[in-house]
Amino acid sequence: MTLKEKLEILADSAKYDASCSSSGSSRENKNGIGNGSISGICHSFSSDGRCISLLKILMTNCCIYNCKYCINRKSNQVKRAIFTPEEIASITMNFYKRNYIEGLFLSSGILKSPDYTMEKMIETIYLLRNKYHFNGYIHAKVIPGASEYLIQKLGLLVDRLSANIELPTENGLTLLAPDKNSSKVAEIMEYVKKKKSKVFTPAGQSTQMIIGATNETDLDILEKSSSLYDSYKLKRVFYSAYISVNKDKNLPTIKIPPLKRENRLYQADWLLRYYNFKVKDLLEKENPNFNILLDPKADWALRHLDEFPKEINKASYYELVKIPGIGPTSAKKIVSSRKFFTIQFSDLKKMGISLKRAKYFILCDGKYFANSSCFRKSFITNNLILEEKPKEIEKRTQLSLFYDGN
Amino acid sequence: MMETNFTYLYDGTWENLIELIFWLIKEKRKPLEIIEEEKYEPTLFNMPIKPIRNGNTKDMEKRMPRESLRIAYYVFLSNKKNKELIIYYFLLNSLKYQHQIIYMRNLKCVNEALNIQKRVSREAHKWKGFLRFKETKNHFLYAEFNADNNILGILAKHFQKRLPKEYWLIKDQTRDILCIYDQKNLHFLESKDLTINLKIEKEEIETEELWKTFFQTIAIKERLNRKCQQNFMPKKYWQNILEMEDTYEKSDYR
Repeated sequence: MTLKEKLEILADSAKYDASCSSSGSSRENKNGIGNGSISGICHSFSSDGRCISLLKILMTNCCIYNCKYCINRKSNQVKRAIFTPEEIASITMNFYKRNYIEGLFLSSGILKSPDYTMEKMIETIYLLRNKYHFNGYIHAKVIPGASEYLIQKLGLLVDRLSANIELPTENGLTLLAPDKNSSKVAEIMEYVKKKKSKVFTPAGQSTQMIIGATNETDLDILEKSSSLYDSYKLKRVFYSAYISVNKDKNLPTIKIPPLKRENRLYQADWLLRYYNFKVKDLLEKENPNFNILLDPKADWALRHLDEFPKEINKASYYELVKIPGIGPTSAKKIVSSRKFFTIQFSDLKKMGISLKRAKYFILCDGKYFANSSCFRKSFITNNLILEEKPKEIEKRTQLSLFYDGN
Repeated sequence: MMETNFTYLYDGTWENLIELIFWLIKEKRKPLEIIEEEKYEPTLFNMPIKPIRNGNTKDMEKRMPRESLRIAYYVFLSNKKNKELIIYYFLLNSLKYQHQIIYMRNLKCVNEALNIQKRVSREAHKWKGFLRFKETKNHFLYAEFNADNNILGILAKHFQKRLPKEYWLIKDQTRDILCIYDQKNLHFLESKDLTINLKIEKEEIETEELWKTFFQTIAIKERLNRKCQQNFMPKKYWQNILEMEDTYEKSDYR
């Protein structure tokens, strides 16, 4: 098998992992090649619009497990390949030197045993760090069930570790990934959290959940994320719209991946981490899924219209970030600028703050952007929805029908 | 006599521009225009004032917030017409408002300077990702790019930290200038001062093919979204991005 054929197989089977982030590490160049970039750098964008920052590959797609949703499950008849540590190291170096990538994201199917697989991964990354003196970004997947001393060894070599939770509830996991169990993943996260330092996973840890393979609601998913952020100080929870690759009686048969739902979850996830929202602000038992036509923040604001419009020159930072269309950057600009002058609508524009959504929810120096009779729920809702392009709405309606049937 | 409404010339370098602007501020002169000497076209009614040299900039520099000078430098790198005057007013106001200057968005010069700075650093950030090196047989790395703003220096410093043990050359095709790194120092030259004869070998083509394979494989067909791809990686970059070259050749954009 040529190197190119191997790469084709092992990139193809790694592509479902959503994470490609290269941020959070400021690793310096120590007498070799490469360094970290704290904000991360995107090197390309694939035709699905996702950023390519890291060489995202599996060491092997051979696997002793038979997880129902996974393309690499034991019972599937697919082409299998294994990279040697030297092959991975040399491709990484060749790509990095030409500025194709920011580093490596190494994951793997399970060969023989979790420990054996981890040892091979460690060998690969050790080679990169010590023979090739590579100081670029490395993200490695922890194989659930591997011994603690191996996780420790790996954590000291990489910038980020992750272990995938895969499904938001234990039921889902038992149904679709009978060989995995969530307590093992939790143990890994606990261990990485305890150990994290400047030399051990400086860019922290992350995880991923598949969306739409089992029948959990958005509320279930978000509650899981929220508890993961609280318990393990995760940097990110990634959501991956379920793509049907296998046939199984326990799996939904869907043609289009639930991309809009994935998008809403990312928006909500952001609100939890940077906007001081709690899960209970966004969803409730009676209404456990997101509105497909409105983003979670606009949806929240419309349900709490009595708190608006907010005076830009008086609202606190925390009130500002809860206004649709205003994020932490804009809120900081507003808070620091208004000490020096009274902010008008034209000033917001100058500051580069988009008024497209915000204008319905704010007052500048006591003034509303239009006649004050426009401040009505129906008017604002319609305008916010209409802002989306007609084509988009069509697509979303399709998706929402699809959810109802799910 | 208060001398206002004159056109002042400078030699096109950052150092000389700062020298001139500090001198203008000290002498309380308000320029009508500040123009690069080479680009100046004489008119009947306008008597330009030749570049100021040996102006003492030290005491003024001490009073100037460092952040303001950094922003002004990014504006200087931009392709904005009249950027010199924006820098003049921005620095003049920086003396008055000190560190608070960046919040004074209601002043036109501050707003413009900050917007331009953002544009320049965004473009530089994009190219830090999109630049593609080719390696020659004798392990020399070579890359070309096209940019609206003069970001060669920013890119060179980035790669000096990242690839300190390589020999490389980065060329700005728009300005016909280049930077050579010899494992130690950066050398900035004009393209015409150097004849480059690069031979790309079979091994290089193989590595490029490997990358293109990865690029195509990593996309999820069920999620195809070329519009989103193009939002993040606009067409103007394609001709310099290895994996997009084929798409660029085929597109009607050329």
